[in-house]
Amino acid sequence: MRKKETTSQKAIQQRVAWAAPVLALVLLLLLPVFARYNDYVLQVFTHALLLATLALAWNILGVSGSISLGHAAFFGAGAYTSALLSLDLGVSPWATIPLGGVLAAGIAAIMGLFCLRLRGAYFALATLAFVEIPKVITDNWDGLTRGSLGLVGLPGLPSLRLGSYHFDMSGSLVGSYYFVLGYGLVLLVLVTILFRSNLGLALQALREEEVAAEAIGIQVQKYRLLSLLLSAFFTGITGACYGHLIRYLEPGLVYGLHFSAIPMIFAICGGRFTILGPALAALVLYPVDQFIFHPLLPAGHEFLYGAVIILAILFMPSGVWGQLRKGHFVSIKTGSIE
Amino acid sequence: MWTTVLVSGITLGSFYTLVALGFALIFGVTHTFNLAHGELLVLAGYVAYWLWKTYGISLLFTFPAAILATLVVCLILQRLFSRLREPMEMNSIVLSFGLAILLQNGMLFFFSGDYRLIRVPTFNQGLHFNTLYLSYGQLTLLALSLLVIGLLYLLMRHTFLGKALRATIQDREAAALAGINVGGMGVLAFAIGAILIGLAGPLYGCVHYLYPTAGLQATLLAITITIFAGVGRIRTLILGGWILGFAESGAVVLLGASWRELVSAVMLITLLALRPQGIFEREQ
Repeated sequence: MRKKETTSQKAIQQRVAWAAPVLALVLLLLLPVFARYNDYVLQVFTHALLLATLALAWNILGVSGSISLGHAAFFGAGAYTSALLSLDLGVSPWATIPLGGVLAAGIAAIMGLFCLRLRGAYFALATLAFVEIPKVITDNWDGLTRGSLGLVGLPGLPSLRLGSYHFDMSGSLVGSYYFVLGYGLVLLVLVTILFRSNLGLALQALREEEVAAEAIGIQVQKYRLLSLLLSAFFTGITGACYGHLIRYLEPGLVYGLHFSAIPMIFAICGGRFTILGPALAALVLYPVDQFIFHPLLPAGHEFLYGAVIILAILFMPSGVWGQLRKGHFVSIKTGSIE
Repeated sequence: MWTTVLVSGITLGSFYTLVALGFALIFGVTHTFNLAHGELLVLAGYVAYWLWKTYGISLLFTFPAAILATLVVCLILQRLFSRLREPMEMNSIVLSFGLAILLQNGMLFFFSGDYRLIRVPTFNQGLHFNTLYLSYGQLTLLALSLLVIGLLYLLMRHTFLGKALRATIQDREAAALAGINVGGMGVLAFAIGAILIGLAGPLYGCVHYLYPTAGLQATLLAITITIFAGVGRIRTLILGGWILGFAESGAVVLLGASWRELVSAVMLITLLALRPQGIFEREQ
């Protein structure tokens, strides 16, 4: 009897696990139609999608069990690299956005040099402190970055022409929306491939039991570095896209605690060890913040993020989506299927 | 010039030690990281600012209210921490980070994002000794910091309670075996930590501008000094505070005020890189 119950419960979970992402995808694809091309709704969901990519990128490192409180370093580096190259040298954003990712990965390599030997809490503290370095340098290198004045008038994303069809990605909000949605889907596919590859399996193994992982021949440091670099690369690309969409940058904005905290919060609330969890959390929480709490509390509406992360770590450390997907992850530590 | 660096290094450094004391004590006794430390400090500063600005209460009498505010938040935090699952250090970081965001937004709501400073007129006057200049503000900061550090030293070294606290810091299991209520010591550490933060906060509001996100810098310097000293060593904490104070004053003179923020971050990363296994494993 009891067994039957659990199997039917599992069947429901299975169905939700399939239905929710498909439903979300359909809703996202048709959103501009549902929203009747309302500017505000489109802006909010464009930003929510961008934050979803940020959470996905954060989780490439998060899946290995490390918690980073310093991803703003990569976000800001990507944003500034792409903005300065396109603004001062006139290079097309299509070329500068990947370069933003490359520089972010370079910064991650430096960070890795100092921080990768650290574990758990100490790694988190080191990343928290590390953000200050690119932030203060950007703030003070007036000749290159214009310092605390920030950058204004960034070029938007150029429009794509496919035959007679003209796809404008910076002039129209719908264009921007579909651009970010496209980037998000590409990143989602990449992360899925990554998590199912040997690299992903190795990262999950070293998360569960690092010593055991090392004993069966996983080169722990190599994989940790690789996941940090990949995570930083995509965070940098997201930062670069952010710059070209908002078209305005300031050191305190892109290197701020906000962009370090947000991906960590979404990833943990959604489910750190799942593929979809972090992105789904971003797509739910950010619109809730903007549509419900922002009008109620113009100053201080972001308390929501503090509240959800406290609740998540106390009552659901594996995250909402992680809870739902239980049974799909084998825990080596407990020897049982969770 | 270097005498100025020396003087401001010692005053600032002593004050930094006071800022770090609460963090170090809570961390030592309960093995939890309180990332909301800086936000609590800023909260205490805001309470003092609000009483001083709206009711004209002198700085000295704002301390009890500031302590009350930090005490309430710290005891709530202690209750939340006691419900955390393993790994404690990591989960306490995430939880207190959430609390920091909550406090930042609460302060933004109640006190707005404007920069505030508690201006005590006499603090800008001072004494001249040849080339050396000491403002009353610096003197007050130095005297109060050293007084509080001294009192805590007496508590830790010369009372039975302090002995129990130190035993808990050194070895929790052995302390429990010796009949020390380790859980109770945790609550006590949070309470004493809250009092220390409540004392440091209003002083912080006199030397630094208060704004809702100002806490991160204070948190970073508290972590830096604590990691430098290891736990339970008040004298090493003072040394760490002074080194950080000198380094910051030196950086301001050599590079300019805008580079000051970098000092504690670079020091923390260097310390962690040199001692990657953390604090507790050192003696083994």
